[in-house]
Amino acid sequence: MRMFQRPLFGALICCAIILLTMSGQARAGTLQFFANGEELATEGFLAPKLTKDGWTLTFSHIFVNLAEITAYQADPPYDAHKGGPVSAKAQVALEGTHVVDLVMDAGDEPPVLVGEAANAPAGHYNAISWKMAKANGGPLAGYSMVLTGKAEKDGQVVNFQLYSGEERTYRCGEFVGDERKGFLEQGGLADLEMTFHLDHVFGRADKPADDQMNVDALGFAPFSDGAKKHDLKLKGLHIGHAGEGHCSVEWH
Amino acid sequence: MRPKFITLSRHFVVQSAVISSTHMNILRKTIFLFSLFAVSALIPPASLFAHGALLEYTFTPGITVHALYDTGQPMSEARITVFAPDNPSKPWLTGNSDEDGRFSFIPDLALTGTWSIQARLAGHGAMVHIDLDQDEPAQALQPMAPGFNTGQRWLMAASIIWGCIGTALYFTKRRGRHAHP
Repeated sequence: MRMFQRPLFGALICCAIILLTMSGQARAGTLQFFANGEELATEGFLAPKLTKDGWTLTFSHIFVNLAEITAYQADPPYDAHKGGPVSAKAQVALEGTHVVDLVMDAGDEPPVLVGEAANAPAGHYNAISWKMAKANGGPLAGYSMVLTGKAEKDGQVVNFQLYSGEERTYRCGEFVGDERKGFLEQGGLADLEMTFHLDHVFGRADKPADDQMNVDALGFAPFSDGAKKHDLKLKGLHIGHAGEGHCSVEWH
Repeated sequence: MRPKFITLSRHFVVQSAVISSTHMNILRKTIFLFSLFAVSALIPPASLFAHGALLEYTFTPGITVHALYDTGQPMSEARITVFAPDNPSKPWLTGNSDEDGRFSFIPDLALTGTWSIQARLAGHGAMVHIDLDQDEPAQALQPMAPGFNTGQRWLMAASIIWGCIGTALYFTKRRGRHAHP
């Protein structure tokens, strides 16, 4: 009888561990991460939403290389205007580096699923950060963002290729949009979004010229001298958003 | 975007005294009541006990948000959405800011916790989070404009004095009747 006591005790311990693990999983949910270039990426800059200098743009690809994607249960809520690191009571990272095409991967709906993290603790994920990193290989090697497409103005057509090798980290507070995002319940599903505002690069003709976004934006004129590979300098332009919410930018 | 608070609730209760049966006491009480009510009438919004009635006045709390671009330009006619702590994923109130980018509302004080307010306009947006339990700084708990102006207070005081004199005269006359049946 005594010879069975030790195996029995061991089996009970194993059962307890399994039950604890299962209950731990029940407290978690799945957090999905999306990237979104919005309609300006999928449909382009079409009248009246031309670039600030009057160009029509349509994109064949907009590649972004995303790394260190992290969602936070920020406490206190992150203030992107102050910037700095995010203070959080819980955070979930999406492993790996992800190359996303904001145009071709979008399909019918602009948001592109980048990946998901299972076993994310339940709670409100009210902040997100990600790094625009240079790709190590593939067609994007050495670049963090590449835009290709066609531009037209007054009968002039330019097939453009814009390459950005700049690295930066965006830190954003809560998603601002039609609905609040990031509420993850036990065993549930929630999502967060990395949003890219292309009008901060090219400006918008349907907005006042003295609008700060238009003042800062490059427009398309600097790239209109033929179909060649252009270096795109994005420093000082706030492309990364969480919906309509602005983000702090750390340039590397 | 910085939140601005205008709040909160205060209660003042002033009780009257029982009038004695002697003439002198009546006069003393009348003077006392006159003083008491004259002073109380000058105190900002108050609850008054007068002849057993309770007049209660409570300041209503409110929050004003001011939506601005980071250039300092106001977000005029921005879409404002308020989320209450008990159901933070569903809008509790929606509206538009005024030309100066301001929007005011009165939260339900029974719903303690973090209130979130979102402002959106033409692709730009911001959120602010206000914890009514913790973020109510003492300096923000300023009372709203007094409910009565000086003229109204004097009118109230005069009415109360007139009531006291009338009461005193009533008891004086009654005492006289008892003395000479």
